[in-house]
Amino acid sequence: MNETVLVKNLHIKAGKNTLVSKTSLTIKKGEIFGLVGESGSGKTITAKAIIDLLPEGLTYTADEIITAGKNILTASREEKKEHIGKNIGYIPQNTVFYLHPMIKIKNQIGDGYMYHMKKTKKEALKRAESLLIKVGFKSPKTVLNYYPWQLSGGMRQRCNIAMALMNDPKLIIADEPSTALDTTVQKQVMELFKTINKSLGISMLLISHDLGLIKHYCHSIGVMYAGQIIESGSREELFNNPKHPYTQLLMKIVPSLSIKKNEPLTEIPGYVPEKGRDSRGCLFVKRCPKAMEVCSQTVEEHEEKGHYYRCNL
Amino acid sequence: MLTYVLSRIKSSIVVLFVVSVITFFVLMIIPGNPAQLILGTDATAEMVADLTESMGLNKPLYQQYLGWLLDLLKLDMGTSYVYGEEVTRLIIRSIPVTISISIFAMAIAVFIAFIFGTIAAIKKNSIIDYFSRSIMQLGVAIPSFWIGMVFIVYFGMKLRIFPVSGYVPINENFLNSLKSIILPSVVLAIGELGTLLRIVRSSMLDSLKQDYMDMAKVKGLSAGKIYIKYALRGALTAPLTIIGMQFAKLAGGTVVVETIFALPGLGRLVLTAVEHRDIILLQGLVMFITASVIFITLIVDILIMFINPRIKSFQQGEL
Repeated sequence: MNETVLVKNLHIKAGKNTLVSKTSLTIKKGEIFGLVGESGSGKTITAKAIIDLLPEGLTYTADEIITAGKNILTASREEKKEHIGKNIGYIPQNTVFYLHPMIKIKNQIGDGYMYHMKKTKKEALKRAESLLIKVGFKSPKTVLNYYPWQLSGGMRQRCNIAMALMNDPKLIIADEPSTALDTTVQKQVMELFKTINKSLGISMLLISHDLGLIKHYCHSIGVMYAGQIIESGSREELFNNPKHPYTQLLMKIVPSLSIKKNEPLTEIPGYVPEKGRDSRGCLFVKRCPKAMEVCSQTVEEHEEKGHYYRCNL
Repeated sequence: MLTYVLSRIKSSIVVLFVVSVITFFVLMIIPGNPAQLILGTDATAEMVADLTESMGLNKPLYQQYLGWLLDLLKLDMGTSYVYGEEVTRLIIRSIPVTISISIFAMAIAVFIAFIFGTIAAIKKNSIIDYFSRSIMQLGVAIPSFWIGMVFIVYFGMKLRIFPVSGYVPINENFLNSLKSIILPSVVLAIGELGTLLRIVRSSMLDSLKQDYMDMAKVKGLSAGKIYIKYALRGALTAPLTIIGMQFAKLAGGTVVVETIFALPGLGRLVLTAVEHRDIILLQGLVMFITASVIFITLIVDILIMFINPRIKSFQQGEL
């Protein structure tokens, strides 16, 4: 098995309203996969569907969801919970409330480890200490005795990362892990991910709306728009040879340092559509500079050597 | 921690002082000479004048107040004329009754409210949720004197399981003592249950929506850990505050229930004092009840500080 995550034809609905449709993604073993898109494009709920954490009221269907070698769709609830808890680490965007504010770090960092790996509290704390050192804390014992609100945002995020690493997961899902942090801490955290990925070989799903960051750290990239991955492939392929007009526009938008004085920043006019995401045609048609008549009716899917895109061009 | 407790005690003393001023002057302003009340309508004017003199009622009000306050600090609250006994002793004798039914009632209410409130929140819109919501409505809507009488008729007179009225001290006969407080406690518990259940349910619903619950679920912990260690832990502050308030309210006298079950508790004492215009007894009772309410609230606030340690830092200006 060469894939850590395999999702085929994922649909997520809130009642009758489609939020994510026809989305497939593959994350190879040991790679960092970047999922990029505007706010509201469905990045987070796609990730949440993979770890079975969709908010109340949302339901999903898919042809296949395999994570770390287990078919999630055919697993029982208990099995699913067990498997995800053991093999997937989740690092959230907002650092404030993901650690329980009334429980000391030492009393919450190890409970997943103790439960799944059948370890004692002592062993869990020992492992937590070594991981806290790995994520850059000088005195892990002090950190363990703190409540989350006694730590800064960057420290909390590093605690989250250490907690996600407790079980030696096969996959880490990081949902905009650095958005709430300032730039220097952001760099530290991202470098930490890179090191973890390299030294431990853990696959990662990195969600971000920051194309620059994705470009810098990811091996493969999926571009999401209105609840669909409209283009995906290796970083080189995607950046050197973007096929979908949306991807092409996105790449133009990333501001570069060589921008001339008074040169206006490019933007894509319009908004991500909220409704009609179950349409058979292309969802980008209203904002697409190259839209044709056929685009609102059907859309073609292409796949060559791992480079996938859905466009009629 | 200590500074917090000290500052709370300081402010409690201020509150007690203000209450003492209000109690004393309001009760003194009420028309009717206490000496006349004590002696009854048959007394001669001379007798009344004598008693007024000996009770110090002819002195200026502020002097009377100071005298009363000084006695109060020595825990001497004067003598009740209805009972002809020292107020302090009357109160001490009534406390066990009121406190035991209050504790027992709160224990029942807390136990049921936490079990049903938690399950109702976890299984929102399930049968248990609807059931506990009806308990809430019933508890709030049904007057306690009615339930009390129904209980007396059914359990006391028909089934004869529990005594109809009266109180057996705990050191006399434990089982009979327990029997004598069960019915009144249950009646009180039903009255408090509705509010508490509602608070537990809504705090729990709120806690279940928090981000840390996502984390607990992703970690794949057992349901017990997820719901008790994470969700319930985050939902304790509000219910605990309410429990403290409810307990303080009950401990201050449960007039209706004590009257129905003929229990010699604080509530009965208050009622007698009011009925017979026993101003000295009433003053003492008001001061005692205020002090105990303040004390219970203080204890609860300290408990909450242990559960939600952030409060400690707010108090100390760390955040």
